[in-house]
Amino acid sequence: MSFQLVHPSTPAEAVRLLSGSATGDIAVLSGGTDLLLDLDNARLAPKRVLSLRKLPWRYLRWSADSLVIGSTTPLRAVENDGEVRRRLPGLWEAIRDVGSPALRSRATLGGNLGRGSPASDLIPILLALDARVRVVGPGGVRELPVDLLLQGSRRTTLGPAELIESVTLPASAPSTYLWQRVQPVNDISQVGVATAFVPQGPHWRIALGGVQPRARRMSEAEGVLPSARPSHFEVELAAQEAARRAEFVSDKRATESYRRRLVAVLVRRAIQTTLERMSKATPSRKAKR
Amino acid sequence: MSTQRVLRLSINGQPVEVPSPPERILLDLLREDLNLTGTKRGCDLGTCGCCTVLLDGRPTLSCLTLAVLAEGKAITTIEGVASATELHRVQKSFVEHGATQCGFCTPGFVLSAVALLRDHPHASRAEVVDAISGNLCRCTGYSKIIEAILAARPAGTA
Repeated sequence: MSFQLVHPSTPAEAVRLLSGSATGDIAVLSGGTDLLLDLDNARLAPKRVLSLRKLPWRYLRWSADSLVIGSTTPLRAVENDGEVRRRLPGLWEAIRDVGSPALRSRATLGGNLGRGSPASDLIPILLALDARVRVVGPGGVRELPVDLLLQGSRRTTLGPAELIESVTLPASAPSTYLWQRVQPVNDISQVGVATAFVPQGPHWRIALGGVQPRARRMSEAEGVLPSARPSHFEVELAAQEAARRAEFVSDKRATESYRRRLVAVLVRRAIQTTLERMSKATPSRKAKR
Repeated sequence: MSTQRVLRLSINGQPVEVPSPPERILLDLLREDLNLTGTKRGCDLGTCGCCTVLLDGRPTLSCLTLAVLAEGKAITTIEGVASATELHRVQKSFVEHGATQCGFCTPGFVLSAVALLRDHPHASRAEVVDAISGNLCRCTGYSKIIEAILAARPAGTA
């Protein structure tokens, strides 16, 4: 690999550099834990690599109803924020499942999202938490649900000169992330299941990762959970519905039928865990009233 | 396309100037340009932890770090852990507890442990296990490594 490294210090400068380069000639470097492997294997051979490290996008900003995470914030910083574990337990679990502490010191939320891996452990929980993504580009700033950012396997709807600036999440939501792997560490998940209970709208969110071609919400399964306190029967029905509707492939990590069985079990457990967390999570909601 | 530039690094407390292209990976720079071969190349994928170094005291995978991005940061490799005359107490504890067999993973484990005990001198067993969760050992079965790190805590730690 051989490239020129550029470090813009403002978003405008970064967008200008991206706009001035042909697609494929420039790659965006956030934490680099995924990109450097592609550069090393020559799967990507850009002439320039644009590092985001000087951009002012390393932050966690809490407000009454939201948490905004700057896209270049290392996952370890999110994990070490005690409020994240308390208020968004599913996000905390998903982050803890990414690599090792040293890897998480480097890997970033924006990088994980922007790379759009179908096996990402973070995208399902972002989907379940109704995350919104703030994108900066030549046309200015736009905000979109994470669902609309994802396109296919390792493909997003980001324009060639667009960058993820931040991700906005609810300030609090009982949530759970569960996964199954061949090996518990140093492997990618066969499936990942995220569930969340959000106060507004249809309450239950179920999202799956490890499915093809991209992680997605299982709205049919969500529809089976009409109330905040679903019955055992409704939970089981949602689990079966998610397993039935998901699009799986067989690969070296699991067969399609095994993935389907995993999903049924993990969705049930994730909803049950989220229900347990709802009964424990009341102090913060009481405080608000 | 790429052009060499002199990187000004701080390695084990010493200023080091080394000409390097922008794509140079820190692990390669340490091992091949500076002959600091205590930092090991294991998986080269960021999963085994053998290449762990400390950047500003924080465990970092040197196989996934561009050397140029380590400029301005204090780099500590395994060669910089012991003093001129004495092993670090974590290293002593590894020796005393038989926490090393083939030794290939040991530098990474020692650096992960040094960083943990500096920030959390009284770390619990669970915190020790978490801190070394990115370091793989195919010989010891981990128990002796965990015991060694726990024993390197200050006397009186429960």
